[in-house]
Amino acid sequence: MFALALKEIRFFKVKYTLIGFILFLIAALVFIVSGLARGLAFDTAVAMEEMDAERFYLETDADEQLVRSRFMLSDLEEEIDREAGWEPLLLHRIRLDLVDSDFRENVTLVPVDPDSFVYPGVVTGESIESSTDLYIVVDESLQADGVEVGDQLYNEESELQLTVVGFAENQMYSHMPLAYIAEDAFASMEIVPDSVANAILLQESDEELEARIENIISGGNWLTKDAVVQATPGYSAQQSSLMMMIAFLIIIAVFVLASFFYIITIQKINQFGVLKAIGAKNSFLVGATVLQVFSLAVISIGVAIAFTVFVQMNLPPGMPFVFDLSLLFVYSGILLTVSLLGALLSSVKIVKVDPQQAMGRAE
Amino acid sequence: MTNQAPLELANITKRYKDGDQYIEVIKDLSFHVHKGEFVAVIGPSGSGKSTFLSIAGALLSPDEGKVLVNGEDIATYPDKAKADVRLRTIGYIFQSANLVPYLRAKDQLKLVSEMAGKWSKTNEKRVKDLLNGVGLSSRNNHFPHQLSGGEKQRVAIARAFMNEPDIILADEPTANLDGDRSTEIVELIAKEVKDKEKAAVMVTHDENLLKYCDRIYRLADGQLTLEK
Repeated sequence: MFALALKEIRFFKVKYTLIGFILFLIAALVFIVSGLARGLAFDTAVAMEEMDAERFYLETDADEQLVRSRFMLSDLEEEIDREAGWEPLLLHRIRLDLVDSDFRENVTLVPVDPDSFVYPGVVTGESIESSTDLYIVVDESLQADGVEVGDQLYNEESELQLTVVGFAENQMYSHMPLAYIAEDAFASMEIVPDSVANAILLQESDEELEARIENIISGGNWLTKDAVVQATPGYSAQQSSLMMMIAFLIIIAVFVLASFFYIITIQKINQFGVLKAIGAKNSFLVGATVLQVFSLAVISIGVAIAFTVFVQMNLPPGMPFVFDLSLLFVYSGILLTVSLLGALLSSVKIVKVDPQQAMGRAE
Repeated sequence: MTNQAPLELANITKRYKDGDQYIEVIKDLSFHVHKGEFVAVIGPSGSGKSTFLSIAGALLSPDEGKVLVNGEDIATYPDKAKADVRLRTIGYIFQSANLVPYLRAKDQLKLVSEMAGKWSKTNEKRVKDLLNGVGLSSRNNHFPHQLSGGEKQRVAIARAFMNEPDIILADEPTANLDGDRSTEIVELIAKEVKDKEKAAVMVTHDENLLKYCDRIYRLADGQLTLEK
């Protein structure tokens, strides 16, 4: 059955190469668009996705958006010690210029207690410590712009220089790199009033603590991390439009393959009739057709994966593109499944072929 | 058992609906073929020759009567079982060779053997012998489009014999061939039928070919009458 399927593909090379090529193009587009979607999601919200916190307390009228929420923390700090498990999260956008260079970048400064769960740690360089030294740990994307450990970054607003001591990974939010700074150092910069925060974070869900915090600071509600990620400006708009493109591509793949194999099947009706007349069973003929679709789909998707790797390696560095192998396998699985579903339409036709038509028929 | 006819039709009737009435294409027809016997059925077009052969070949079920293949009544078999009978017990030769376009001559034979689950290395010799027997020893590796009409029909004959069927059914096997080629092909079928002791039925309208047949029937008005 398999040999028969492959012999036919080999004999009608052009026909099957054409359909394989179309499937390859669709699969490659699905992979590239999904890589782009992951890339955009990465730039938009990866810092929150990776944040080691489950519960976010935001102002009720902030539309679940971190940057629109703002709390005064002085009451809370008096009533509940931070040892109890809560951490403030403040995102403060500033501009930094690299001394002796044209590099300038908007970053989001995040004051943290370096021992708390909010602080992600470094992948290169050294960590910050609780002190008033103006040291920062920034997202590693700045490395691509030529920033190195030890560089001085100048902030015009406060007329202060910050020293890069290390780099952290996956710390992008709203298309800006995050820069972590020790709380005491941030306070010493005197650019925002003391004790403000965008949100209050809990590492894990804790109903009792959540209720106590709500009692002291009213006007907010507790959200999951996922809700905060989804509400990041632009996040769901980007993701839903790209996902719609992917869904359409998959639907197109179904119809292109289904109609192609349907036409091939109709062309082969006589041949199926003869084969049935000499004793071929439906399962044999349907099996051979399904195997053809399967082989074509596996080869096309395989080539598309290789092509996506090639594209990813040749993209300009600033391009938001994330090659997520597990996601790629998910889409490959979906494409393979829908291809086989498309072939089922032809199977109905094959089952209906009457072997008797082989009789009394002059070609 | 030796006297058991491989193919026997007993009191077969087949009706087709035509408008609001039924037409009996085959009426209470009985017929049998013995091993090593080559029987011809002739008749004008529209006389029901194809219907007759379809019923004999387990492609069509009669409305009444029995179709006995090696003593078993297959008239009421389900489709799948009939496909199996066709695969293992009956060899078909059609008007046109009806080869699979993307298979080499030897693979045409291999295919039917594979479908029957009988393929093994020893069968490779059988393929060779059969193709030699039909005079195609040098054409084993040719695709159908590289063969002439007569050669294609020879491959089809070899294919019909591949699964060692007891019955050979030929439906106007020479319809697409010229006179000389037709004689050769029917001679070949007759020879193979005699050599291999098959029960063979050929439907034809070419009276020149009848000299190779042991018995000749004429099909008219749904009945068979013996002519020779």
